[in-house]
Amino acid sequence: MGLIFLRTAIIFISLLAVMRLMGKRQIGEMQPFEFVITLLIAELACIPMADISIPLLYGIASIVTIFFLHQLLLLFDLKWKPFKTLVGGKPSIVINKDGIDISQLKKNHLDLSDLIESMRSAGYFSLDEVAYALYESSGQFTAMPREDSPKENKVSLPVVIIDDGKFDEKNLALTKTGRAYFQDILQAQKVRSVRSVFVLTLDGTGKVYLQCRGERYRSFRVRLPEGSSW
Amino acid sequence: MVKTLASILASFALLVSAAIFEHWYVGSTFETFGAALETLEAKVRDEAATREDAEAVRTLWEADKKNLHAVIPHNDISQVDYWLGEAVSCIETQTYPDALSRLEVLETICRQIPLTYRITFENIF
Repeated sequence: MGLIFLRTAIIFISLLAVMRLMGKRQIGEMQPFEFVITLLIAELACIPMADISIPLLYGIASIVTIFFLHQLLLLFDLKWKPFKTLVGGKPSIVINKDGIDISQLKKNHLDLSDLIESMRSAGYFSLDEVAYALYESSGQFTAMPREDSPKENKVSLPVVIIDDGKFDEKNLALTKTGRAYFQDILQAQKVRSVRSVFVLTLDGTGKVYLQCRGERYRSFRVRLPEGSSW
Repeated sequence: MVKTLASILASFALLVSAAIFEHWYVGSTFETFGAALETLEAKVRDEAATREDAEAVRTLWEADKKNLHAVIPHNDISQVDYWLGEAVSCIETQTYPDALSRLEVLETICRQIPLTYRITFENIF
C-alpha cells in the first residue's frame, strides 16, 4: 500500500505538472487537478476490475490516495493563495483595451483562430466588440463587451484576412479581394510590412480590425471592391 | 473545512495503517512459510522427508494463501503453488535432488516477494 500510495502520488503530480504546462487549451471547464483526477480515477477503477490477477485492494488504495490528494489540494487551495495559482493557474487576459495580448495567447499555447472561435462561442463576432476577454484558469472563456460597442447590423461574418503575418488565401477569395487591395490599406495605415500585422479582419460593411505586433489595435472602414459580398 | 480536514486525516490514517499492515502481514507470512521450507529442506538433504512433511508445509501455505490473495498479486501466489506442487511431488517420489532445487526456488520466491513491497527506489520507479 505504501508503494501504491507513493506511485499514485508521483503519477498524480506528474500529470498535474504536465496539464499545467500544456496551458488552458487542454483543460476546458475543469481545474487542472480536477482534470487529472478524472483521467486517473477511470483507469484506477478499471484496471483491478478487469484484471483479476490484481487484488481489488490495489485499486481501492489508489482511489483513496487520489481522494486524499484531492482533499489536500482543496485545503491548500482555500488556505494558501500562491498554491492556488501554482496548481490551478490564473486567468489570462487575452484582450484588453489595446487589443489582443499576443504574449498571453502564446503563453497559453493558443492562436488567433482559437481566440476567434472562443469569441464566437461567447456570442461576439468582431474582435472590437469586447473591452476585455480572458481565459479563466479552468480554460473557460469570458468576455466583457465594450461600453461603446458598435451596435451595427451584422451583414456578414468578419473574416480573418491576415493571420500572424500571413494572408489567408481562402478568405481573400471569399471576400473577392486580393493581396494588392489590402497592401494598399496597410500602406494607408502606415504599416510597413504584412509580416508586422498580427491580425486583420474585414466584415461585410467594410469595417477593418487591424492590429500590428506591439501596437494598439485600429478599427476603421474601407470601401469594399465592387461585387465583394459574402 | 472541518469535514475536509477530517477526511484528509481519515484517508491518510487508512492508507498508512493499510501500508503498515501489508508490510507486516506479507513479511511475517513469508517468514513463517520460509522457515517451514527451510525445515523441509533440511529433511530433504537428509533424505528423510516424507509426503506428510511436504503436505504439512502445503497446509500451512494453503491457510495463509486465502488472506494473501487480498494483498499480493495472484500471479505471485500461483508461482508458489506451482513450485510447491512440484516439490511435494518430488518428495513423494523420493527424487530428493529435484525436490531440493524446487525448494530452493520456493525459498528465493519467499525472500523476494516481501522485498517487492518495501519502499525503495527500485520498487517505486
